[in-house]
Amino acid sequence: MRSTFMGLETAKRGMFAQQSALHTTGNNIANANTEGYTRQRVNLKATEAYPSLGINRPQIPGQMGTGVEVDSVQRVRESFLDIQYRSENNKLGYWDSRANALQKMEEIMNEPSDTGLANSLDQFWQSLQDLALDPTNAGARSVVRERGNAVADTFSYLATSLKSVQGDLKNELDVSVKEVNSIANQLNNINKQISEIEPNGYLPNDLYDERDRLLDKLSSLANIKVSYNPSGGNALKISEGTATVEIVDDNGKILGTLVDAKSQRVNELSVTFKKITDDNGNISDGLVEGVKIGSKSISIMDFNSAGKVSGLIDSYGYSETLSDGSVVEYGLYPQMLNDLDTMAYTFGTAFNAVHSEGWTLNDFDSDTKAPNTTNSKINFFTLGGVAFGNNSKGAASLIQISKEIQDSTNNIAAAYYDGKTLPEIGNGKNAVQLSNVKNGILTIGTTNTTLQNFYEGIIGGMAVNAQEAERLTTNSTVLKDSVEERRQSVSAVSLDEEMTNMIQFQHAYNASARMITLQDEILDKIINGMGISGR
Amino acid sequence: MRVTQSMLANNSLRNLSKSYANLGKYQDQLATGKKINRPSDDPVVAIKGMFYRTNLTENEQYQRNLSEAYTWLENSEAGIEQVTEITQRIRELVVQGKNGSNSPEDLNAIGVEIGQLKEDLIGVANTQVAGRYIFNGEKTLTAPIGDNGFTTDADGKKQYTFTQNTSSYNVEVSKGVQLKVNVNSQNVFSKDLFNVLEELESNLTDGVGILENGDQILEKLDMHIQTITSERAELGARYNRLELVDSRLSDQEVIANRILSDNEDADIERVITDLTIQESIHRAALSAGSKIIQPTLIDFLR
Repeated sequence: MRSTFMGLETAKRGMFAQQSALHTTGNNIANANTEGYTRQRVNLKATEAYPSLGINRPQIPGQMGTGVEVDSVQRVRESFLDIQYRSENNKLGYWDSRANALQKMEEIMNEPSDTGLANSLDQFWQSLQDLALDPTNAGARSVVRERGNAVADTFSYLATSLKSVQGDLKNELDVSVKEVNSIANQLNNINKQISEIEPNGYLPNDLYDERDRLLDKLSSLANIKVSYNPSGGNALKISEGTATVEIVDDNGKILGTLVDAKSQRVNELSVTFKKITDDNGNISDGLVEGVKIGSKSISIMDFNSAGKVSGLIDSYGYSETLSDGSVVEYGLYPQMLNDLDTMAYTFGTAFNAVHSEGWTLNDFDSDTKAPNTTNSKINFFTLGGVAFGNNSKGAASLIQISKEIQDSTNNIAAAYYDGKTLPEIGNGKNAVQLSNVKNGILTIGTTNTTLQNFYEGIIGGMAVNAQEAERLTTNSTVLKDSVEERRQSVSAVSLDEEMTNMIQFQHAYNASARMITLQDEILDKIINGMGISGR
Repeated sequence: MRVTQSMLANNSLRNLSKSYANLGKYQDQLATGKKINRPSDDPVVAIKGMFYRTNLTENEQYQRNLSEAYTWLENSEAGIEQVTEITQRIRELVVQGKNGSNSPEDLNAIGVEIGQLKEDLIGVANTQVAGRYIFNGEKTLTAPIGDNGFTTDADGKKQYTFTQNTSSYNVEVSKGVQLKVNVNSQNVFSKDLFNVLEELESNLTDGVGILENGDQILEKLDMHIQTITSERAELGARYNRLELVDSRLSDQEVIANRILSDNEDADIERVITDLTIQESIHRAALSAGSKIIQPTLIDFLR
């Protein structure tokens, strides 16, 4: 026999459940513009029918439904899209930081323009041609000196500016690493909270949202792989568990665990720099040598992992120490600095070689005497006041006009002695040869090319790199945006939809309330209207 | 696909900023007149741009070198012309002096004129252009005939110091091409010529009344006139060559400028057209945006 009040109970449950649904609808609307918020859905479940099976069950024709209850409040989210999103965001992080670094480099190099290195070399060439026409003209000599100064200054300006941006990149790298660690710690805290809530049978949706938001952010900094560790106790089947975050390389190989869900600990990421000791014994940071995750060291050569951190390392530069002790430098900025050094070194050396073979004005004793036969072999350029050695490193920032030339333009060797006829004061043949250094074939690094072509090659390489970085930034932005759109399509709050739901739940609530009125009338009939016949 | 208001709003914002980026690109092109603003916009254009600029600078320099070459050749030409005139006049005077009807005073007068013409010749030989002696090879700071440094010998003849340098003064007129722009001054102002003139002058002014060795002197003079003429002819030939180089460089300049422009200059008509199209797209995007942000269902429910 069923209870008299069963109908009341069923209607009451209906009201409660619909009210919960309305609350959730309200929460969705309230969070329509919250970043990282995933819309929530109330999973309603019919309560157990009456009578349930058992020895004492009453003999009634069928099972009666007993109403509804809220089973769980769940996020509407597609985790596959999260994986896709993070993968694209990861590439975007890498290419974006690389494109930024290259953009700055392009701005510094400033080619093609009327103010770049190519132009100052052209002007220097011109001044030498002018000198060849009129070698005794003090004005032409001064112009050669000033244009030579301009070439040296341009080299060192470029090198200094590149180094300063490289320094900024290092700061950015340090900040990014700190950000990774800060996110890792926040993730770990969320893991802890989740592990305390889930065993009680709740779904901590807001914590899930916050965790996903952090993981999205982390994915732009480093290539991550997330796996979940289910909570024990009374945890619901649909609960997500705690998250383990691993840093992986581009082939998916695990490099190290950043956030460990099981031990609830964080292994912080750090970047190790090659230590450089200068002549005064001061130690400073050089290029990146390796990466550490917790106590696990990873050689930088194995850290092929996309993301902003990796992009910054590639731009700032990293070095590998080979087994024979030699150090190889990689990366955008070291490469460019190295190219400029090689160029300045080769140019300076070749120019000096031609210059020291020429005759300066002082080599001609006077117009009546026979010219001097011993020339003084003056260098035009020096590296910070010292003659060119065998090492090209730092040449671009050190190259300058030699003291002799700085002291007197008479020391510019414009004349040339071909070994047959002694030159006269109006001889400008060496100036022509000096002007040919720019266009002559030189061995620059390992290639035989002209200075002009070598420089065009440097700029071309940079341009292609920058173009590639920008194209891939655009591509990954488009892909990221399209995944984000699909993700939004699943998870974002639609106000129209919520309104529709609201009406639906409201009507159900009202109808449940009406059921109570009905029950009231029935009970009124039973209690007050029955068994009083004849009264 | 389920679409929400926030997605629509995001999309229309994204479209607008994309549209702004394009507008910015055309604005840059119009403002700078260049197709590219940084090498990565088009690496090939950038590299070519650098190459053509250098070409143009070199061309400009060679043209500057040419004007120097013209200065030398034209001044040398003018000098030789004067020398020719002077030597012709001397020849006339010699022919006149050979004539038996001259009195000693007449001959003396002729001798004095020849003396003056000789001085004139020295003046021409010591021509300076922009402070440089153009008839002394590469020895540009020394006068070929040191007229201040003369000594007088036992016979009362002036002895000049001849320091003529015969090296060629070269100017690079295009890559690797050197052009000689001076004349061999020994072919024009040789010591021998001055010896002849000295002899002539002393023979005329010695008061004897006849010109001794007149025929021999005339013969020597003719020989010198011939060398001067042939030197002048060679100079003319080099001048022609210079003009050829000049016209070639001018052609190259025009071509280089055009290529440079083709390579990197923006096609203004096209940019303006593109800009106009982009502008209308932008307007459409704006208007779409304003339509998309519509009243929601909430507005229609009671």
